[in-house]
Amino acid sequence: MLGNIAGRHRSPVKGSSLEFAQYRKYVPGDDTRRLDWRTWGRTDRYYLKEFEADTNLRLCFIVDTSGSMNYGEKAKTRLDYARSLAGTLAYIAANQGDAVGLMNTSTNTAMKEIPAKRGPVHLKVLLDQIGIMTADGESELVSTLHTAAEKIPQRALIVIVSDLLFDPEPLREAFQHLRFRKHDVTLFHLLDREEIEFEFDGPTRFLDLEGGASILADPTLIQRRYREAVTSYLGKIDEIVNQSALDYHRVMLDEPYDQVLARFLLGRNPKTARSAR
Amino acid sequence: MSFLQPILLIGLPLALLPVIIHLINQRRHRTVKWAAMMFLLDAKKLSKGIDRLRQFLILAMRVLAVAALLFAASRPLSGGFMAGAGGKADTILILLDRSASMEEQNLETGESKRSAALSKISELLEKTSSRSEVILIDSATLMPTAVSDLKSLLALPQAAPTATGTNIPALFQAGIDFLATNKSGRTDLWLASDMRSADWKSASGNWQSIRADLSANETVRLFLLSYEQRSEKNLAISVDKVNRKRSPTGYEVVMDLAIKRTGSSDAPSGDASEPQTIPVEITINGTRTVESITVTGEEFLRLGYTVKLGAGDERGWGRIDIPADNNLSDNTAYFVYDEPPVRKTIIVSDDTTTANAIETAAATTVDPSINYDASTLSPGDSAQIPWDETALLIWQSAIPAEDSAEATLLRQHLENGRTLILLPPPDSDEGNHAFFGIQWDDWFDRSSSPASASWWRTESGLLENTQNGTPLPVDKLRFFRHRKFAGDVQPLLKLNDETVIFAKALTETKGSLYLWGTLPRTDYSTLATEGVSFFVMTHRALAEGANAVSKARMLQADSSAPVSQMKKIDSGESEAALIMPGLIPGAFESGGESDTQRLVALNRPISEDSSEILDESAVETLLEGVEFRRINDEVGSGSSLAAEVWKAFLVAMALALLVEAVLSLPPRPEATSLTKPI
Repeated sequence: MLGNIAGRHRSPVKGSSLEFAQYRKYVPGDDTRRLDWRTWGRTDRYYLKEFEADTNLRLCFIVDTSGSMNYGEKAKTRLDYARSLAGTLAYIAANQGDAVGLMNTSTNTAMKEIPAKRGPVHLKVLLDQIGIMTADGESELVSTLHTAAEKIPQRALIVIVSDLLFDPEPLREAFQHLRFRKHDVTLFHLLDREEIEFEFDGPTRFLDLEGGASILADPTLIQRRYREAVTSYLGKIDEIVNQSALDYHRVMLDEPYDQVLARFLLGRNPKTARSAR
Repeated sequence: MSFLQPILLIGLPLALLPVIIHLINQRRHRTVKWAAMMFLLDAKKLSKGIDRLRQFLILAMRVLAVAALLFAASRPLSGGFMAGAGGKADTILILLDRSASMEEQNLETGESKRSAALSKISELLEKTSSRSEVILIDSATLMPTAVSDLKSLLALPQAAPTATGTNIPALFQAGIDFLATNKSGRTDLWLASDMRSADWKSASGNWQSIRADLSANETVRLFLLSYEQRSEKNLAISVDKVNRKRSPTGYEVVMDLAIKRTGSSDAPSGDASEPQTIPVEITINGTRTVESITVTGEEFLRLGYTVKLGAGDERGWGRIDIPADNNLSDNTAYFVYDEPPVRKTIIVSDDTTTANAIETAAATTVDPSINYDASTLSPGDSAQIPWDETALLIWQSAIPAEDSAEATLLRQHLENGRTLILLPPPDSDEGNHAFFGIQWDDWFDRSSSPASASWWRTESGLLENTQNGTPLPVDKLRFFRHRKFAGDVQPLLKLNDETVIFAKALTETKGSLYLWGTLPRTDYSTLATEGVSFFVMTHRALAEGANAVSKARMLQADSSAPVSQMKKIDSGESEAALIMPGLIPGAFESGGESDTQRLVALNRPISEDSSEILDESAVETLLEGVEFRRINDEVGSGSSLAAEVWKAFLVAMALALLVEAVLSLPPRPEATSLTKPI
């Protein structure tokens, strides 16, 4: 991570943390205070001992607040799950001294866009904003991602929390835009098992949470076609995220979010990444 | 299709139960707030075609299954002769063809067309119309008979075999008359016939009114039960022109003997054109002799076949039998013989020239064993006509008024089987009354340009060809003056301009009524000078009438045959013979002294030997405008007009449920889970 202050995240440049990085031969101009005298004593050669430089993190959450995020039982909706994920991550990041920001996809002006900042006061403001977030209307995620790519000035970890229930093709360009700006992108794709399995008994009227027309259907008759559509959709999502080199997490809403976070955090640590995945 | 439990068909709307349940289910849907609408829309779009068809088929199969169950419970009958539920008729009117040809039978089962028709109709009615009133009208009597017990239909005397012919138009008319005079309500009219052209009489003028009556009566449904298959092998024997003559040794009977062979493809000889030797049994007054006759081709005809009689056999009866075959009713021919009567001709005319010519021709002896007599009376002396002795009456006088005594006597003369020839009075416009619908018209003078015959009837009638097939020299006749006539006639001779000179009136009487439009006078025609045709015409007319005068008469079996007071002499009397003796063949004799005793032989009409069938299109033409259903059946087919077919409906239901189950099978489970976290 490339921050402007010292933090807990590995920086691409070497710094003065406690974690040894490598030995390097002395070249004129190097700070002689960093010479490793013990090595000189053993080998009679001048080496510099370099340490990893820790930096802080700019963590920016983009939470999808389209109507489809209201799916689920009361207090256990997809938006509630997104709140839990984003809130917890924001809390962890702020406690590490990282800057945390928030964007949502709502067109509602009452929903504030919070730039990434550090400090407990800012965390409270951000958590409050996460708490009052409401979901409504159609998804504006793609345009929000483009906006974020343009607005966030420095490299940051962008965590997207969304159900991605729209045509995924435009996402390809949006993700590439973010990657072009050197952002580290993590995508939490929130889906409900019922949406995937589509197991209903009798005729059902499906009310569109994003305000579209309702559909009356006999799920037993269209289940096969539905699953084919889901398979096709997920395949396309996989292809886009692989191409865009995102950190992609498909999350079922019945999974405990702490497990999801643990999987995510362990995946971020190079030493634990393989076992986490 | 008819049903034994049609009341259950009221529940037929229950077949829509699956549809109603489906619709209720549609209405009883639950509502779910749903986010993944994009997948739903895709699935709905994709499932529009085959899945919708599948859903429709499932629903259709369910409807079919329930409907089939209801139909099966209603106990359907095959045949489809009744018009569905509530189709039971109040009256069932059976018109039965009892002609001799209906006795053609299946040799394996011994069942005739008549008995097969009656059995199948009674079986059908027992199943479908047990509460309907059943009326039988048979072709022999044309009288309606109420049938109280369908099981005894075949045993009714009115349904017994006869040797009669059938007049299908008259049978229809009898049925229509019954409907008109009885409140029969909804009626099913069943006509059982073997579809012989001779019986259907396509040329009859009654068909028009029959069509009109039947098509106007909406409460009548007509079913035509047809047995038109011809027997594979049948021989029919008949005799005609039986005369007893004196011979040097006593007496002999001379007759025309005919044996008709039909459908002989599998005859013992193998081919219809190959000779077939038949043992013919001849019984004369109870004494039997057997003679072998070889038949070649379709018909064997021996004109002047002679049977020797003993010296004391002046009168008697006989029968000729051939071996049993498909039709038992045409294997026997009866004949009777007696002293031939004097062939008496009476001419009523003031025209002496005409009268002399006819008198000369009629009194000339043709057969030496027969006495001929002819005399002339003036119209004023017509009361002196010896009606009982007269075989041929030639009436050249004004046609009497319809209600006059003379007209009644003339009509009686015809009813008694004698012959009447009407001649126009010369140079007179008198006699313009109608007699049997016939009326004299204007005179026509062709003396400047004599006319000759352009056509004459050669197959029957007074001008038919001779027995060896030679035509009469009718073409040599010339006509100078003739009188036209109007009415319902069968032309015997026509001129170039279609003018009819000689004709036979179409009457329903036993005797024949002829019309001659010209006279045997040199200023009218060359009938007298070219005398052959005139002579033959006169003697043929005389011979026709003489049969009715004879003490030994050959008649066709008919309900009006004058044998009710006579005793059957050829065999024991059957029950049917006791009730209606005129309908069965046989030899009969009246009581009394031998000089007044009369003999009668009854045989089937010769038309019954004709196997010509009226084809389906001709039947449809005859019954044009009449809604009818034709059922073609065969004797010994074993099929029923109405068989219960509920099993077929249960099978249909099972099949429908099976198809429904296959269509409703859930899709195979997905091989991989889509919900595995990534």
